[in-house]
Amino acid sequence: MLEVTDLRKTYGERPVLDGVQLTVGAGQIMGLLGANGAGKTTLISIIAGLRGADSGSVRVAGLDALRQPRRAARHIGLAPQELGLYPMLTVAQNLAFFARLAGLRGGGRRRRVAEIAAALDLADQLGRCAGELSGGQQRRLHTAMAVLHRTDVLFLDEPTVGADVRSRAGILDVVRAMAAEGTAIVYTTHNLMELEQLGADIAVLHAGRIAVEGHLDDVVNRYATASVGLRFDGAVPALPGWHADGSRLTPDLPVTDPAAAAARALAALDPNQAACLTGVDVTHPSLETAYLAITGQPRTSENHHALVA
Amino acid sequence: MLSSRSLAISGTGIRLLLADPAPVLVNLVMPLLLAGFLMPATKAQLRLAGLPEATGAEQVVPGMAVLFAFLSTMLVCTLFFREHAWGTWQRLRASQASSLDIVIGKVIPLYLVQLLQMAVLFGAGSLLFGYHPTGSLVALAVVVATFVATLVAFGVALVASFSTMDQVLVVGNLGGMVMAGLGGALAPAATLPGWAQAAAHATPAYWGLEAIRDITVDGAGLADVAPALLALVGFTLAFAAVVAWRFRPADAKVGTT
Repeated sequence: MLEVTDLRKTYGERPVLDGVQLTVGAGQIMGLLGANGAGKTTLISIIAGLRGADSGSVRVAGLDALRQPRRAARHIGLAPQELGLYPMLTVAQNLAFFARLAGLRGGGRRRRVAEIAAALDLADQLGRCAGELSGGQQRRLHTAMAVLHRTDVLFLDEPTVGADVRSRAGILDVVRAMAAEGTAIVYTTHNLMELEQLGADIAVLHAGRIAVEGHLDDVVNRYATASVGLRFDGAVPALPGWHADGSRLTPDLPVTDPAAAAARALAALDPNQAACLTGVDVTHPSLETAYLAITGQPRTSENHHALVA
Repeated sequence: MLSSRSLAISGTGIRLLLADPAPVLVNLVMPLLLAGFLMPATKAQLRLAGLPEATGAEQVVPGMAVLFAFLSTMLVCTLFFREHAWGTWQRLRASQASSLDIVIGKVIPLYLVQLLQMAVLFGAGSLLFGYHPTGSLVALAVVVATFVATLVAFGVALVASFSTMDQVLVVGNLGGMVMAGLGGALAPAATLPGWAQAAAHATPAYWGLEAIRDITVDGAGLADVAPALLALVGFTLAFAAVVAWRFRPADAKVGTT
């Protein structure tokens, strides 16, 4: 559905995209991660035809999206990071307008607007002006406008920013439903838990390239780290296999089960030492620790791994 | 042939104008108020200039219509810049509408509003101030329609040339007032100093008002105002060329809501 090959883009002297390779298949949810300024929005903008690329190729549903952006646009849905809606028009008018632009007509358009409004819990708000909606409702409307036509590729750029718990759940449900219908979804977020909830594949954009790509579980297994630390008030005791790091006691070697390691260390402390203990820090392996490990490394050719074929 | 997407964008543009009609209403009421105040002085001025039957409406009605048509070009700019402020510009560009669809779709409602404004001002001028052109009404309609097209193109050229709404307001309002004034919207061009009369030829207001004056006072028809119409078409094409040269859909603009 989406195939990005050796995509390059430079702003002035700064290469933002430096040979990006990315493939997203039908029904796949690809969580696109990267620090602020890593180039996620630039990448999405180029694929959606909003910006030009210096070189490379982008194929959307078999079409060359760089040479035929208008034709490719028929296959693309985009909810940009920045909210985009007409505050003076009603929810229904906003939805109907973008449905018209997507080529939906007559009864089909009305049915789809009603369907999407119901899916994103906006059915009761259709007659209200978009500017009067809460932040979460506006975010849902913003997302709804991108999914009106059944696209082959859907880009959701931080779709849950400012959304409350209910709005977020509604948006994630729609994402799952569209993926189940065969839409390839590229989902950027800084809320990594959402990607865990979606069971997404992960692509980490770092230093202008996709540094790591694979299924979430594989990325976590390969890169995530666990850590444990015991905090003390006063002198840090000596324990075999552990060392002092300021006022903390940390293990000499990486741990796989930080809770068990902490329990063993606590059992080894004598009562006087335990009395000075002020806290225990346990970090389990997660997508977050994997992401930090990946982006904390300088990019080398060795750390680009496709974990899932 | 208009695309369905241009029509959809036009429909939304009309809804947006109706949702906030105050700027349009101000541009309808203000010129009528001003016309009432200016009528006595203009009547005396025209009679001194050799029109013994003049009521003042011959100058004031077209003059105010042209002046406020220039000020209405800010509506053109507002409708573009607000898309940026609302974040909808990127959405439009990411849709299946082409850049040309978007520009045409945005221009149509503004053209219609400007045309309506002119029609209301000339109509109200007839009812309230006794404005009765002696020449062809068809010619008047053609001149007005062409002049409005020129101003809409002027507005889009401003949008294409500047990146913030504040810049557009300064340049557009100042430029519009100067062009309208030089063209004879506030006083007949023939009463202006020599340098101003020479400079007036470089403004679309002059050609529009000259054609309207010929129709109003001298009983002119379509053939008589053909040179002025050609000049207006020339201005329209020049502004369109600026749009073609400067308009970049991907440019970031700073709009206000």
